[in-house]
Amino acid sequence: MKDRRNKINKILEIPQEVYSNTPKIIITGFDEMIVENFKGILEYEEYFVRINTYLGIININGFDLKLENMSDDDIKVIGKIESFDIERLE
Amino acid sequence: MFIRILLGYVIGYLRIEVTGYYIERFINLCNSNHILTWNVKKGKEANLFLNIEVKKLREVIKIAKKVKCKVKIKRKKGLPFIINKYKKRKFFAISLLVIIIGIVISSSFIWNIEIEVENEEKGPEIDINQLSKEMEEAGLKTGQLKSKIEVKDIINKVRLKREDIAWMGIEMKGTNAIVRIVKATEKPNIIADDEYSNIVSDKEGVITKINAQKGTAQVKIGDTITNGTILIGGWMEGKYTGVRYVHAEGDIEAKVWHTKSEVINYKTTERKETGNEEKKYSIKFNNFEINFNKGVSKFKIYDTMELEKKFQIFSNFYLPISIKEKINKEMKEIEKNYTVEEAKNIGIEKLQKELDDEIEDKENIVNKNINAYEKENCVEIFVTYEVLEKIGTNEKI
Repeated sequence: MKDRRNKINKILEIPQEVYSNTPKIIITGFDEMIVENFKGILEYEEYFVRINTYLGIININGFDLKLENMSDDDIKVIGKIESFDIERLE
Repeated sequence: MFIRILLGYVIGYLRIEVTGYYIERFINLCNSNHILTWNVKKGKEANLFLNIEVKKLREVIKIAKKVKCKVKIKRKKGLPFIINKYKKRKFFAISLLVIIIGIVISSSFIWNIEIEVENEEKGPEIDINQLSKEMEEAGLKTGQLKSKIEVKDIINKVRLKREDIAWMGIEMKGTNAIVRIVKATEKPNIIADDEYSNIVSDKEGVITKINAQKGTAQVKIGDTITNGTILIGGWMEGKYTGVRYVHAEGDIEAKVWHTKSEVINYKTTERKETGNEEKKYSIKFNNFEINFNKGVSKFKIYDTMELEKKFQIFSNFYLPISIKEKINKEMKEIEKNYTVEEAKNIGIEKLQKELDDEIEDKENIVNKNINAYEKENCVEIFVTYEVLEKIGTNEKI
């Protein structure tokens, strides 16, 4: 059943993040990062943000990090982003 | 999202500080309870600043209790708080309301009437005071309710009374009524070619040339004519046909006298400005006037000028308040004594200038006649110009 729905969605070219819980990460410049379909925040400090998603964890390092415009499944991180890495769920 | 924050400004939002060790859990719980948060910033210690909507405060406090955090309100923002602030200042609010209502009410009246004549240079001047009086009678005056003014009715009434207005329009702009007028050019009394008519003199003078093309000449060269004398009669007498009426035609030229007279005294007083002036102000509410200064001037002899300026908010929004400025200019009286010759010269020069202005064709001036009669304390001067002019107008029999 789920497979069939996936197939239809693929044929109709609906974006993945719309019909599933797959996270989408958008980085605009080096100071703004939007994570769609996030699950929750694991840790939050001024220099470090750890965001939980359905596929794994995103770690963001930087300075003066702020969380802006938080809605149910979108989060926007603003600040000087130095690096970020992904921990895959096995 | 942006719209929701904007809405938050209208409904009001709070910036709160949350202190505790499970801040991440607090954020996650907020999200899972569908509480919108924005501008989340971590403090230096175990604290967090964030914005929430006013309505959600109770829920937020509940969540904070669950994760053992403390909530402190840092700032209140939004319209409800601003309104709350002004609720205590009742007098201010009431006076603001009164002013707004006053402006709204006064904007439904006419407070200023402007009269614009479109073709100013043509024809005789229109007496604007007279016209505004007539408009007042017809129903357009300052202080009138705008809704009660029936433009068509007023225009019809005024145009019935006055013949020198060809077109009239009334435009309402704010509290300003602009009346536009087009003057009617004076039409000569045209008599159709097939109607019987005489040619009648319209000036006084002596005939120098008469040439009747149609009709019978009634005057000869050298005859003195006055206003109304028939020059060419609109009938013809034939031996066999009897009297036949026609439309008179012909050229008549006459020496027309233009005379002016003036009496000049040997002793005259002349007024001159001394340069001293004083200004007096007063405020006028519609018809009620308040003076700021004493009414009596400190000068003995003076001329008065009055300026009135109406208050206006926008270019076309007049209020029924005006400031009046009175300027009194001090004058000096100087006595002058003329000799007989001086008095004569002054009078002659003055009259000649007046006549020169009056007569358009200077080439047709045939003769200038100056008479001066000396009397005990004055000189009487008569200046007469003889001018060759074409005269005569058609008049129905």
